[in-house]
Amino acid sequence: MPASTVSERPAGAARPLHFSGIQVDHRDGDGRPFRVLDIPDFVVSAGALIGLRGPSGSGKTSLLHLAAGFFLPDAGSISWGDVVVSALPGAARDRWRRETVGFVFQDFHLVPELDVLANITLPASFSGWRQTSDQVARATALAGRMGLTDLRRRAAVLSRGEQQRVAIARALFNAPALLLADEPTASLDPAHAAEVGSLLVEVAHESGATLLCASHDPALLARMQQVASIGDGPLQLKVAA
Amino acid sequence: MNPLPMVIADLRALRWTAAAIVTLVALAVAIGVAIGAQERALRQASTKAADDFDLLIGAPGSQTQLVMSAIYLQPEALPLIDGRLINELARDPRVAAVAPLAFGDIARGHPVIGTTLAFASRWGRLPPSEGRLFAREGEAVLGADVTYKLGDKIEPSHAIAGHWPKRGVVDEDEASRRHEGHAYVAVGRLPRLGSPFDRAILVPVESVWEVHGLGNGHAAEDAALGPPFDGQRLPGVPALVVKPRAVADAYALRARYRQGGTMAFFPAEVLVGLYRTLGDVGQVLSVASVLNAVLILAAIFLLLVAVTGLRRRRYAVLRALGAPPAYVLLVVWLGMAGLVAAGCLAGLGLGAAATLAVSGLFEVQTGLRLSFALGLAELAQVGLILLLGSLAALIPAALSYRRSITAGLRG
Repeated sequence: MPASTVSERPAGAARPLHFSGIQVDHRDGDGRPFRVLDIPDFVVSAGALIGLRGPSGSGKTSLLHLAAGFFLPDAGSISWGDVVVSALPGAARDRWRRETVGFVFQDFHLVPELDVLANITLPASFSGWRQTSDQVARATALAGRMGLTDLRRRAAVLSRGEQQRVAIARALFNAPALLLADEPTASLDPAHAAEVGSLLVEVAHESGATLLCASHDPALLARMQQVASIGDGPLQLKVAA
Repeated sequence: MNPLPMVIADLRALRWTAAAIVTLVALAVAIGVAIGAQERALRQASTKAADDFDLLIGAPGSQTQLVMSAIYLQPEALPLIDGRLINELARDPRVAAVAPLAFGDIARGHPVIGTTLAFASRWGRLPPSEGRLFAREGEAVLGADVTYKLGDKIEPSHAIAGHWPKRGVVDEDEASRRHEGHAYVAVGRLPRLGSPFDRAILVPVESVWEVHGLGNGHAAEDAALGPPFDGQRLPGVPALVVKPRAVADAYALRARYRQGGTMAFFPAEVLVGLYRTLGDVGQVLSVASVLNAVLILAAIFLLLVAVTGLRRRRYAVLRALGAPPAYVLLVVWLGMAGLVAAGCLAGLGLGAAATLAVSGLFEVQTGLRLSFALGLAELAQVGLILLLGSLAALIPAALSYRRSITAGLRG
């Protein structure tokens, strides 16, 4: 596989991701506040492959959303190297996310009316008017790396496993230094889950990106360098068992 | 940024809904356009048809009815005025030209109008497109749409007021009321006027009198056509068309012939009154069509807000992938404004088609040719709909703009 095409890194290398003094509160159905996240101090070193384990509702998704800058914590800060993401104004945070983060969802969230190629290159349309031939070449290479050959098929007709491969290729398109995956294999059957899971970890590793991956899937967690448990005391990184 | 791929994807996802929205907007626009254009076209065509009728003189009665009969050739029974008025007016220094209009006969459903050479050629303005004008009794010159050919024999029948014969054929009624032993020969054809006169057969007024057994209006049997009519007993006519020399003359003549057993008026006066009514109806209709457009836009707006609501996860994903809020705003807005714009364009076309279709029907009915032209008023109305639609589309776009990514992803 041409790993070199995936590991190009125009957007800058991975940096340590640092959660510090994070508190996130929500209100329950009766309006009483409850704490969703409480992370005194948690550092993900640059280029690490980290699994995130915890029961449903323990805040895994919130943690990933926080890391991507989708929302701001009620207290504390998140920084990416020397960039304090949680202090960036909205537009700058959007730009930081576009240049730095690749996000993989449990339910893929492809645009069903677009074909495979258009789905992968979609992030390019956020900043540029025309698609360059370099972008098409990169998308084609990524698709090839993910085992996708027919780029003209519409996303709506793909199998679930194929859809998640397209979604991963899309997440990698802007060469993100931080790859966030929220239960990427949870809605796949076991065979597809194993394939997609190993591809995700491989390409993240090849590209040198930091991978933070929330999952219940022991097989997927086993591929990570380290696993953190959420929901039972402070986040601590443990070497994967 | 280039939101077009997402806009196209969104529209593709909507498909039938998008088609329905475009159709609805198009219908709303078309109705407004058609009403406005139709009303104006009717006004213009009817004014044009009255062009050569500066002053009408007839027996006292309904001015509207005289206009309808003399200019728009609707079959009505009219009282007659003394034929000697023709001579009096012909001698009047304030009169440039005068012509009688004698109607009441039909041939193959075409009205046969007795008049003078001068009026047949519209005071010399209208040379025949084929053949020549009538030069003696028994000759006829045809309107552009008359179904006879040059050289054909035309047998006139007595028409009945209020009966609308089918043109081009002799119906039973017409056949039973034929003026036996009288016939005209078609010697020429007039160019198209776009008025009911295109369906008329013009003959010398002398012949009409003759056919009805009233003599020919002249002292001699073989006198030259036209005024002066020096007969002993001059038959009456239903209407006189007068071309005054000057505006002041026109008013003086109108005043003079308003008394002494005649009425005189400018057809324009009657038309202004009719247009006022027409305008009121037109206004009611355009208010109705604007309300109709507003209702349709409101319904579409609600539909689009609902659609955007259903798509909030999709738009949140775009934001999660790094799309700036302006990108999402543009995707939502361009899609909706595009649909409204497409509907407006289609509506203009549809409105034009509807106007042409209605104009065609109207011409068949009345002989008035309505020419379609989009006026500023219609374009302004479409522009307003487009503007309101685009502004309304900003609301769901702004809603999508403000929603947090996490809330959107939760669905």
